[in-house]
Amino acid sequence: MIQAGFDYDNADRIIGFKLTGHADHSPYGSDIVCAAVSALSISTVNGLDSVASVQPIIAADQEDGGYLSVRMPPVDDYMQDRISQALLRSFQNGLLDVEKQYSDYIRVQ
Amino acid sequence: MLEMNLQFFSHHKGGGSTANGRDSAGRRLGTKAADGSTVTSGSILYRQRGTHIYPGVNVMRGNDDTLFAKTDGVVRFERKGRDKRQVSVYPESEAAAR
Repeated sequence: MIQAGFDYDNADRIIGFKLTGHADHSPYGSDIVCAAVSALSISTVNGLDSVASVQPIIAADQEDGGYLSVRMPPVDDYMQDRISQALLRSFQNGLLDVEKQYSDYIRVQ
Repeated sequence: MLEMNLQFFSHHKGGGSTANGRDSAGRRLGTKAADGSTVTSGSILYRQRGTHIYPGVNVMRGNDDTLFAKTDGVVRFERKGRDKRQVSVYPESEAAAR
């Protein structure tokens, strides 16, 4: 099961998230839950960089997968902050939607 | 930037190895002389682990539980008590009467 956790600051802004574990929904290569979570998380990380021009602090187990930790740096620019939060909230919503259908394979806190 | 990998949260192909996968060669146990066949002294009648079949008349049990003939004669698989079986070797003259 994938565990997804989000961290917030006092203003309820998302300042980081961590994803651990494997979906174990289907064999390698056909695990749709894994693919969904992978696509959502990786595109969010890349979007923070390419769209919001914010370089988060990333820790990922590229060898075995199953671990991704993202911490947001301080963002002073108003627009960058708005875009970053939009990307992160959209990512969170995506995970919650996946959890609704596949709650045996992913847990969002 | 991260490389897009749709299997990032999937167990990898290796999935770990298994400690199983070994087996010893078959020991070719079982009957080596059929009922009614003629055997010579010392012939192996039955290979076994433990005593599926017990030694009967003119039959000895080796230290690996193998049963073999003590004399020349005809092989007979017989009942032994209620639920056991034994193998005996009778001289040809005597075997005809059985």
